[in-house]
Amino acid sequence: MELEAVIGLEIHVEMKTKSKMFSSGPVSFGDDPNTNVNVVDMAFPGILPTVNKQAVINAIRVSHALNMKICDLVTFERKNYFYSDLPKGYQITQQFHPIGSDGFLTIKTSSGEKKIGIERLHMEEDTCKQLHSWDFSLLDYNRAGIPLIEIVSRPEMRSGEEAAKYVEKIRSIVTFLDVSDGKMEEGSLRCDVNISLREKGSTKFGTKVEIKNLNSLANIQKAIDFEISRQSIILEFGGQIEQETRRFDEGSKETVLMRVKTDAVDYKYFTDPNIAPIQLSKEFIEDAIKTSPELAESKLVRYRELGLNEYDSSLLIADKDVSVYFDEGLKSGCSAKLLTNWVIGDVQSYLNKEGISIKEFHVSSLELGKLISLIEKGDVSNKQARDVFAEMIKSHKDASTLIKEMGLSQVSDESELISVIKEVIDANPQSAVDYKAGKDRAIGFIVGQVMKKTQGKANPALANKLILEEINRR
Amino acid sequence: MVKSDFQGWLNNMGYMDKSLTYIHEAILKGEVTPLDLVKEAIELAKKDTNNAFEYICEKEALDSVSKLDSSKKNNLLYGIPVVIKDNFSTKDIPTTGSSNILNGYVPVFSSEVVTRLENEGAIVIAKSTMDELAMGGSGTTGHLGVTYNPWDKEKIYQVGGSSCGSAAAVSAGIVPFALGSDTGDSVRKPASFAALVGFKPTWGRISRFGLFPFATSLDHVAYFTRNVYDSAYMLNILAGRDDKDASSSFNKVEDYTANLSNPIKGKKIAVIKAIIDSISDKEVLSAFNKSLDYLKEQGAEIDVVNVDVKLLKAIYPTYIIISCAEATSNNANLDGIKFGNRIEGESFEEVMLNTRTNGFSPLIKRRFVIGSFSLLKENQDELFVRAQKCRRLIVNAFNKVFEKYDAIYCPAAPSIAPLIKGSSNNLSDEYLIADNYMAFANMGGYPSITLPIGFEKNMPFGANLTAKPFQETVLLNIAKVIENGTGLKDLVAKRD
Repeated sequence: MELEAVIGLEIHVEMKTKSKMFSSGPVSFGDDPNTNVNVVDMAFPGILPTVNKQAVINAIRVSHALNMKICDLVTFERKNYFYSDLPKGYQITQQFHPIGSDGFLTIKTSSGEKKIGIERLHMEEDTCKQLHSWDFSLLDYNRAGIPLIEIVSRPEMRSGEEAAKYVEKIRSIVTFLDVSDGKMEEGSLRCDVNISLREKGSTKFGTKVEIKNLNSLANIQKAIDFEISRQSIILEFGGQIEQETRRFDEGSKETVLMRVKTDAVDYKYFTDPNIAPIQLSKEFIEDAIKTSPELAESKLVRYRELGLNEYDSSLLIADKDVSVYFDEGLKSGCSAKLLTNWVIGDVQSYLNKEGISIKEFHVSSLELGKLISLIEKGDVSNKQARDVFAEMIKSHKDASTLIKEMGLSQVSDESELISVIKEVIDANPQSAVDYKAGKDRAIGFIVGQVMKKTQGKANPALANKLILEEINRR
Repeated sequence: MVKSDFQGWLNNMGYMDKSLTYIHEAILKGEVTPLDLVKEAIELAKKDTNNAFEYICEKEALDSVSKLDSSKKNNLLYGIPVVIKDNFSTKDIPTTGSSNILNGYVPVFSSEVVTRLENEGAIVIAKSTMDELAMGGSGTTGHLGVTYNPWDKEKIYQVGGSSCGSAAAVSAGIVPFALGSDTGDSVRKPASFAALVGFKPTWGRISRFGLFPFATSLDHVAYFTRNVYDSAYMLNILAGRDDKDASSSFNKVEDYTANLSNPIKGKKIAVIKAIIDSISDKEVLSAFNKSLDYLKEQGAEIDVVNVDVKLLKAIYPTYIIISCAEATSNNANLDGIKFGNRIEGESFEEVMLNTRTNGFSPLIKRRFVIGSFSLLKENQDELFVRAQKCRRLIVNAFNKVFEKYDAIYCPAAPSIAPLIKGSSNNLSDEYLIADNYMAFANMGGYPSITLPIGFEKNMPFGANLTAKPFQETVLLNIAKVIENGTGLKDLVAKRD
């Protein structure tokens, strides 16, 4: 019996809006517990929700990027259940009319391209964060009410690799759209996997297992691969899969049982009467899409048009902040190719060495671009530019100031160079004669003398050209 | 009696049984100070025998008086004592909703309406009792027990609810204004039993921010005064958009006092036949007909109009299903985890269970069970969704009446206040229709006002007038004419 895996993903993306989904409480990560909280987030009696406009704009943008139908009537439902992390005793979510529905995205895997269907995308609010100890629990309401986007795929993935690629793509979309920082390890992008096995070719679904707590792309792939083999072994030996929730244990690289699923909870959904349905105008939706930040895919196309090769381009868009840095640098008017080399070369290796992100890098790409333009003009050599760059990092000064201070600017002024060249040839007539007689090496001596007289600042290429012209003239 | 003696007698009488405008004039003339008024109101509140108060804010009120900004002296509410129903969040003042589950809860923020009152210079002197969490209509179910009707010295008649304490405070002459809330008829019904003007404007006209929710889609901020002018004036202060309440309206706030004395010639008023037909009390019908005659004399056109009896009888069950369903969700935050009267347990589930089991009375739990039951997946279509559809049909039927009429006018209740120990036949037409029809105004969000029209056995009864959404000006104009006709205004029950 040949088995195939049926995998569907539910992804929760925490938005990095200024305020929360339904309150004016600030959204901020890593602050002291219960400091970014107001009465609405705590669900004090009498509070009312107000819808965050930017969150709606974000949801429209992501829906559009995922090729979804956008519902122009925004309604919210209450999902009712009692839990210690749920301030109001219900969560406001979009059950009946998700803002995005019926979309897809295309992933590239080792076996080619594949289209993955996406069932729905909806907005909701996050719950508060819990820390359970053996005899008490701590609640941090900073997270309560942070806007979330939930993206539910169709069960169309078949391997850990496909799932990881799918999540990678979603992460790229939400980060490039400035919707989220997409950090799986910090929980701002959370992924739950539903996985079942069935006989290949069958249209029926097997019993599904849910895997939670997957905090990296690699772990998604590992967890799914492990789960496929775990379920395969059970089925091969005639066993049955239990409907259960498992988590991935990083130490053992295995999925372990969290709880057996009993009957599904009845959440008693109903439309939240505090939020009258919001009719989005066509203009509002179009404007949200039109003003949407550029996606990785479209950046890739643009980079290729700039003449960059596929490999370099893909390195630039691997991290949104790197591509933003690059785009900023382009504004200096420098060569895209040279800028690419610097960004993925010198800049990246410095960041790696220091263990910092490009956002923490203080040398602006505009300044870097200016330095590159000076190389292009021939004002500094590549080698000198590297010294300047190192100094820029150290001293926080700009390139042109440093070049002056370091006395590095090349002499590219022809009249200045010609007078030096004339002096040198006048003082060494024999060299000119030797060169004319066919001794090519003689030219090297003259160049050396010119460099010596200009203290190494002569533009070597230009000097070479002018020396030849001068000798030939004599 | 020479004039100065008369003045002295008046001063001894105090001011709290007077209208807002009268008291305001007295302050402006320097006859009385805000401090005098607050002391008078607090003295009266302390002597209250009707169980009208959850909490008398003596210290807080005296503190507020000392901080009054005298540049606001011309505001009508400057220095005037008011009472707030205990389901409005009041900063630093205990707020329980008359439920044990909120014993000890002291809010850190004030309701929008309380803030607006205070900005106008009003002084909150007390929080009033209510049916627990506003779920009830008798004024007998709050955690402090029965609230009595000031008109009845024997203490055998209800004052009505759920805004019982506010009704008692205003009709006993303790304050000239009290905030209430109205989800079915919780202000307009007690107004009828206590000879008051009880007014709930259009849904969305006044911000609900800070009002403990009972049934969101039906909840209205409402209030009691002793005459129509004061009601109109209070709307000037309370109405208007509040960004904290997404359902509050952007519609322009009018000067609601400006058109009170307009002639009502040609105004079309509908009387609903089945409601009148279901009432057997002759005194009520006769007083109501007298007020109709007066309206006709003033040039109003009165028609008796049919609304499907089946829909009228459906108002109450529809209201019960929708309100209980919303209530069970709205009160899910009261779980003992963050605030309220927490009862410990071995796990968070046990804390919630213990807190809620101990905190809510059986009547509340009954409502939650009805609400949860009607929201369950297997029942939702048959109960909750059906009730919503029914609500739509009811509202459509009344909208149709409003296509031709400026207002609907009927008795507010089939009789004077019922006995505290009385029982009603829950399936009679009188109960299902005349006793509970006023919730149609909550379903449609219509502005609706009750005002006194007569007395029987020395107990008052009133009539109710309801208009199209945001037609408060027309509503108050007609109400003022009715008041002129009956002459029943500024009524205060004799003090013990």
